[in-house]
Amino acid sequence: MSILLTRVDNRLIHGQVLESWVPTINANCIVVANDKIANSAMQKLLMEASVPKGIRVFIGSIDDVADILGSDDLANARIILLFATSSDALSAHQRGVHYSKLNLGNMHAGAGKVKCSCTIALDTDDVENLNSLETAGVTVVSQCVPSDKEVGWQKMLRVTKT
Amino acid sequence: MKGLIIATHADLGAELLRACELIIGPVHCARAISVQRDNGVDQVQEQFQQAILEVGSDGDGVLIMTDMLGGTPANIGAVYMEEGKVDILTGVNLPMVLKFFNSQDDLSLSELANILKAYGQKGVTLVSDLLKK
Repeated sequence: MSILLTRVDNRLIHGQVLESWVPTINANCIVVANDKIANSAMQKLLMEASVPKGIRVFIGSIDDVADILGSDDLANARIILLFATSSDALSAHQRGVHYSKLNLGNMHAGAGKVKCSCTIALDTDDVENLNSLETAGVTVVSQCVPSDKEVGWQKMLRVTKT
Repeated sequence: MKGLIIATHADLGAELLRACELIIGPVHCARAISVQRDNGVDQVQEQFQQAILEVGSDGDGVLIMTDMLGGTPANIGAVYMEEGKVDILTGVNLPMVLKFFNSQDDLSLSELANILKAYGQKGVTLVSDLLKK
């Protein structure tokens, strides 16, 4: 099993992931770690149905994702791992999902969030979660689609402070 | 009259409606939803709720056309699916949209959706194949 991309994206599986990331990094498997989707049979079914044949999809709760990734079934998979929020990414890491780099893809604006780029807005909880991940050795970057330049998240924060 | 929502990445849907009006003149009960790169999920949901209220006011049902299965417009639109009232057709193209406006009003939403699905697929051709016959 190799995780080619670990990404925070509040849209989870969508066009940018399917049509841009999958072909660019040649992934053949998408793992979605999200409690809400995992617990809704309807949403799970729709998400699985929306992925082209040839790409396998596994959807599980944050608690389950370490087991899914460790299963024999995924032994040779080239994986994109998706979280909807920074807190999910941190929880999974604390439960033994050890990725070395985290990509911030889409974290859109909302109440209490400060916009750092076109697609990234962070609140104080996000900053705390991402700091914890960095302390644990994870490199946190932002790159919405492969053709965008990869930017360190601390650099994005500095931009908003000035 | 049944309502039409064309939900797409960027302004594709709005332009399809414009192209449609260029061919058949002003159309009614239709709205486009443009999903932009910086739109949050909440913002797009709000647009859907408003559009369904607007084009669905007749109570004859609403068809949502989207550009791509698995894309954000289709993913978010799927939340509003309701049997007999709201359905989603992916892979929108101009023939499909034109046919929506040129279809009879007495069809059920599901009948219309099936006709448009077939019509949209028929609208995809490799022209050199046509010449081989």
